[in-house]
Amino acid sequence: MNTAVVIRPKDYKSATKPVWCPGCGDFGVLNALTKTLAGLALAPAQVAVVSGIGCSSRLPAYTSVYGFHGVHGRALPVATGLAVARPDLTVIATGGDGDGFSIGGNHFLHACRRNVNLTYLVMDNAVYGMTKGQASPTSAADWAGSKLTPDGTGIAAFRPLEIALSAGAGFIARGFSGDPNALAGLLAEAIEYPGFAFLQVLSPCITYRPEQMEYKALVAAGFEPLADRNAAFRRLLTDDGFTTGLLYRAPVAAGGSALATAATPDDTASLAGIAREFTAARLHAANEHES
Amino acid sequence: MSPEAHAGASVALFLAHAVTLEEEAAERYDELADTMAVHHNEVAALFRRMAGYSRLHRDEALGRAAAEGDALPALRPWEFAWPSPESPESAALEYTHYLMDAHQALTLALAAERQAQAFYQQVADTTADSRVRALAGEFAEEEAEHARLLEDWLARHPPTPAQPKDDLDPPVAVD
Ligand SMILES: Cc1ncc(C[n+]2csc(CCOP(=O)(O)OP(=O)(O)O)c2C)c(N)n1
Ligand code: SF4
Ligand SMILES: [Mg+2]
Repeated sequence: MNTAVVIRPKDYKSATKPVWCPGCGDFGVLNALTKTLAGLALAPAQVAVVSGIGCSSRLPAYTSVYGFHGVHGRALPVATGLAVARPDLTVIATGGDGDGFSIGGNHFLHACRRNVNLTYLVMDNAVYGMTKGQASPTSAADWAGSKLTPDGTGIAAFRPLEIALSAGAGFIARGFSGDPNALAGLLAEAIEYPGFAFLQVLSPCITYRPEQMEYKALVAAGFEPLADRNAAFRRLLTDDGFTTGLLYRAPVAAGGSALATAATPDDTASLAGIAREFTAARLHAANEHES
Repeated sequence: MSPEAHAGASVALFLAHAVTLEEEAAERYDELADTMAVHHNEVAALFRRMAGYSRLHRDEALGRAAAEGDALPALRPWEFAWPSPESPESAALEYTHYLMDAHQALTLALAAERQAQAFYQQVADTTADSRVRALAGEFAEEEAEHARLLEDWLARHPPTPAQPKDDLDPPVAVD
């Protein structure tokens, strides 16, 4: 119980009203995010939400915190740069499954490896909603709802949690937009994790995937947080894609930074220090050249 | 509060739940009103009215809290013990549609009021605290009264012939 909470969730919403289709799961994600920020009592000026392009990527405009609505697939490079330059900020990257796993898939792998302290929340509806319903990387191989792929893509769906685990992410969880209170709690844990935290959120697109209205009956809390990577891999072998909760949380070092498989970048370096190192390296190279 | 959680709850903890239930109900109705306004649906006005009523109930619950004299505990949103994923009077977001009519909007609101009534009744039936029992029983009766008013209202707004499934301008797949 926290007695210091003074800002209400609605205070984190902007005056811009969402243009999402009524019933879209992304409303639940926005509500969860504002509940998290209120629950953690984070000052709006201490938070930045960075997105790419897609229906889901409109989210920053609907919040009162700093926002950056970027280029398709590039939420993570922008968020990484911001988190490195301003380690005092709480940086949250958001977007859709197309944005993050298709055009931005390469950045996803390397953000997991780099382990920069930020949270990546993907609103996964297994479709490109904004461009009117094409298959995305997380669409099932036999999903035939788009005229572009009348027999389905025939390609096995991308498995975000397995890929994040393989690529070295230290915090991996799945939530559901239809359970915004539980999602807010998970998101708070992700934000407080001192490294790269990945959160896949099942967020129905009621317009192009109306069958996702059934998610409410399919989704069930079930992950128990694991600190052992091998155990997390084994747990995913029986994952049905609808289990929610915190799957994996890598141990945190005594100094408070996350022990992901990649080396943790030094976020204490000053710009002047980097410039000095750079000058020294250039002088060294010039001396080598002359001798 | 879930059946296990509310048996031993204090008056202050119960009232913290009641205030948040009404506050979140109002915010949800406002959210639905805004969404309908964005889609030029006149049902927005009805949701806005519902938000106003919920705010009156929130103020009433706050008044009761002041009268009881106990400071309400400040819970984080995920620390509330609701019997459902959201607080019980939050109208279901997923059952909305940009072409929904007054009948559908009132049906949505009625379901929310009934959920709130069931919540309060469950607290009244299971609490060990006599003051919580009295308050929860009173709130349950109020919610039942709101549900009866909505039923009357609903009778005056029969379903309109054009339903969302008959959308003459469905989202176009361009691929
Ligand atoms: C470089 C570039 N390529 C393609 C597009 C077209 N485009 C816009 S959104 C989108 C996919 C969005 O899907 P997703 O990220 O899943 O978001 P959703 O709309 O489903 O929330 C695409 C391909 C673009 N805007 N920019
Ligand atoms: S098209 Fe789908 S993802 Fe986009 S706003 Fe509508 S329901 Fe949401
Ligand atoms: Mg998508």
